[in-house]
Amino acid sequence: MKDTVITAKVKRREISLAAGCFLAAFLVNVYAIIRFGTPWTEMFTQIGYVIVLSVIIYAVVWVIRLCIMAVMALIRRGR
Amino acid sequence: MGAAGLLASSVPWLKGCTPAGQEEISGEKVRIGIIGPGSRGRFHIDNLLKIPQAEIVALCDNYKANLDKASAKVPSARRYDDYRKLLEDKEVDAVVIATPLNLHYRMTVDAFSAGKNVFCEKAMAYTMEECLDMYRKGRASGKIFFVGQQRLFDPKYIMIMDSVRKGEFGPVVNVRNYWFRNNDWRRSVPSPDLERHINWRLYREYSRGLMTELACHQLQNGTWALGMLPQQVMGTGSIIYWKDGREVFDSVSTIYTFPNGVNMTFESVISNKHFGMGEQILCKDATIDLASGRLYAENPKPRSGIRQLVGEIEQGIFSSSAFAGTSWNAESASADSGISIMPEAVEGDGSLEMMQAFCHSVLTGEQPPHVLEEAYYGSVLCLLGDEALLQKKILEFPEEFRL
Repeated sequence: MKDTVITAKVKRREISLAAGCFLAAFLVNVYAIIRFGTPWTEMFTQIGYVIVLSVIIYAVVWVIRLCIMAVMALIRRGR
Repeated sequence: MGAAGLLASSVPWLKGCTPAGQEEISGEKVRIGIIGPGSRGRFHIDNLLKIPQAEIVALCDNYKANLDKASAKVPSARRYDDYRKLLEDKEVDAVVIATPLNLHYRMTVDAFSAGKNVFCEKAMAYTMEECLDMYRKGRASGKIFFVGQQRLFDPKYIMIMDSVRKGEFGPVVNVRNYWFRNNDWRRSVPSPDLERHINWRLYREYSRGLMTELACHQLQNGTWALGMLPQQVMGTGSIIYWKDGREVFDSVSTIYTFPNGVNMTFESVISNKHFGMGEQILCKDATIDLASGRLYAENPKPRSGIRQLVGEIEQGIFSSSAFAGTSWNAESASADSGISIMPEAVEGDGSLEMMQAFCHSVLTGEQPPHVLEEAYYGSVLCLLGDEALLQKKILEFPEEFRL
């Protein structure tokens, strides 16, 4: 089995992506608060749901990225 | 017991089953005779054996098998096969009567004549006239008289009824009681000549069937919650499935109407058990399920915004779209899971507390207020309901049976 090297650049990119997913989930929560007129304290009390949602978004983004990578690999092989 | 202690101040009849009430009588003992130690009688024996102030000194049954089973639980107790002999026993202070319904009246009245305190199983008696006479004779004797309406001692019921009576959930608009089973209600009989003796609940000579055996407990909910008596009752009863020679109905539906127009229903079917047993008080702002001790608000606190949003998305994805929409929307039952009303887990159904209170009353000589009156009306209402079923008429509550 080969050693896998994760570069600093990759780490930074993944952390930025995770942060972006969390921000998106946080904004969804803010939207829901406004949409349903619920208390603003839910920005903090519902943080558990926000974290779960951000993990889901991150996973969905990863699925999309895998699809793009697969397509790119096929194109490269075609050349 | 803890919850009962908390409630004792507002419910005086609970005093006897609180730690303070038990302390008041520590060291003393009530000598008890059990008349009719069948299944219910032995259930009471089990509870009495847990109470330090109770001593079972005598047992009586004319069915030897039951007497033997009870003797196995209390080997030291004297055995009788005639209740009159037990009543002559000078070392018996109080009797627990758990015999077929038609015997309650004679045995209770004889017990008062013999100077005994009485705990009689519900329903109080076979007729309303007997109930009234028992009530009067009991009060006139100066002896303690309890009837087995254990819900009066169940902390869940007491707490909920207190809140209902204070109007915390808005006015009461309906009371629903039902008891569904799916069995023939028979006990196995060792020989055919014992059929009526053992399966007495199925025969009119001994019992009024579902009304006296089941409704009796539940009808109390309405009078307790509303603080008044129904003014009329109507209903219908039939033998729809268990056509096995029984004489009492296996399916009944009754409606009791209170002076303010509120209806209380009692339904029972013993050929379908899907809904089980339920006792619900419907108020303008909430529904209270007495059996489970849960409260369902009419307008429950909404879920958080994000949960509502997720729910909306889920519904959009998974709910099936109608091909041709209905012209009206059915009012589906609320999916609200409700909240528990009791602050702590409460075990039991009040039967142990009821026996503790009975022993306390016998030892102190104080008949607790309301207990007998509540039981009396519970019995009269179930008997009146059975009359309405038999006569197929709307019956008014007879004034002469008001206390």
